[in-house]
Amino acid sequence: MQKEASFVKIIKEHEGVIFKITTMYTDYRDDQKDLYQDIVYQLWKSFDSFRSESKISTWMYRVALNTALTRLKKSKRMGNSVPIDQVILKQTENYDPEFEERLKIVYKHVKELNVIEKGLMLLLLEGKKYEEIAEITGLSPSNVGTKISRIKQKLKKQIIKE
Amino acid sequence: MEIEEMKALWSEMSDQLEQQKKLTNEIIMSMTQERYTNKFKTITRYESFGALLCLAIFLFILYHINKLDTWYLMTCGVVTLLFISILPILTLRMLGHIRRFNILNKNYTEVFIEFQKAKKNLLRVQKLSVYASFIIMFCAAAVFAKIFGDKDFFMIDRGPKEYVVFAFTIVFVYFFSRWGLRSYTKITQSAEDVVKELED
Repeated sequence: MQKEASFVKIIKEHEGVIFKITTMYTDYRDDQKDLYQDIVYQLWKSFDSFRSESKISTWMYRVALNTALTRLKKSKRMGNSVPIDQVILKQTENYDPEFEERLKIVYKHVKELNVIEKGLMLLLLEGKKYEEIAEITGLSPSNVGTKISRIKQKLKKQIIKE
Repeated sequence: MEIEEMKALWSEMSDQLEQQKKLTNEIIMSMTQERYTNKFKTITRYESFGALLCLAIFLFILYHINKLDTWYLMTCGVVTLLFISILPILTLRMLGHIRRFNILNKNYTEVFIEFQKAKKNLLRVQKLSVYASFIIMFCAAAVFAKIFGDKDFFMIDRGPKEYVVFAFTIVFVYFFSRWGLRSYTKITQSAEDVVKELED
C-alpha cells in the first residue's frame, strides 16, 4: 500500500507532464486517452526499478516519451475520431481563447517535427538543460545540442514560410 | 513566433495545467489494472468465438443424442462431446486466470511463472489431442453418419470407393490436427508475448 500511495502521489504531481506529452504525440482524443493510460501503466511497471539516483521527473519523461514512441509505431486509427481541438480543457475564469489559439500554433509547429525532434523540443520547452535532456533521451549532451540547433533552424523556416 | 515566445507560452500553459488537475487515486490505479486486462482482449475474443462454435456443435450432438441407439455409437458421441467441451474450457480458463491477476498485488515474475505453468499444461493437452483426433475422427464420423444419414458407420458395406474416401479422410485429419496444434501454439505464444511484454 505504501508503494501504491507513493505512486499515486507522484502521478498526481506530474499529471500535467503526461498530459503535455500525450497532446504532443496524438491528434485525437481517444488516442490521447489511450496513450495517457499506457504511460501510467508503464510508469507503474517500472516503478519498482526506479531508483532515486535520477530525478523523478527524469524517469517520468524517459518512460513517457518511450511509451509514446512505441505506441506511435503500433497505432493506426480507424473510423471516426474526435480531433484534439483544445489544449486547455477546463474553461476557468482565466481561460483566454486568444492564448489557446497561440498555444495551438506552438503545437502545430512542434507536431510538424519528426518523432525524436518532437521529444527533444518538448523537453526544451519544459525548460530542461541539455544535460538533463541527454539523461532522459540517452543521447550525449553535445548530440542534444546539435540536434536542438537543427530543430531551431527547422522551426524558423516553418515559421517564416507562414 | 520565436523560440523564446514559444517557451513563454509553454510555461504559461504548464501553470494553467497545474491548476486543473483531475486525476483521483482510484482513476490512476484502475488505469493501471485496466491496461493490463486489455492486453488479453483480442486473444480472448478469438478463443471465445472458437468456444462458441464448439458449444454449437456440442448442443447439436446433445440434441440428437437419442439417435445414437447402440452402446458403441453412444460411446462415440460421449467421446466427441468431451473432446469439444474440455479444450475450449481449458483455454478460456487459462486466459481468464491470467487476466484476473491483480497486478497491483503481484509482480511480473509471479505472473510470468503462473502463465508458463498454464501454457505448459495446455500445450500438453493439445499434443495429446492431436493423437486423440484420430480416434475422434472415427467417433465424429460415426456420430454424424448416424445423425445425418441414419447409418451405422461400423456396419456399412465398404467397397474400394469407401476405402479411398477413408484414406483421404485420414490424410485430411492428419493435416488438420497439425494445423490445429500449430494454431494453438501460435495463440499461446502470442499470449506469452503479451506476458513477456509486461516484463520489459
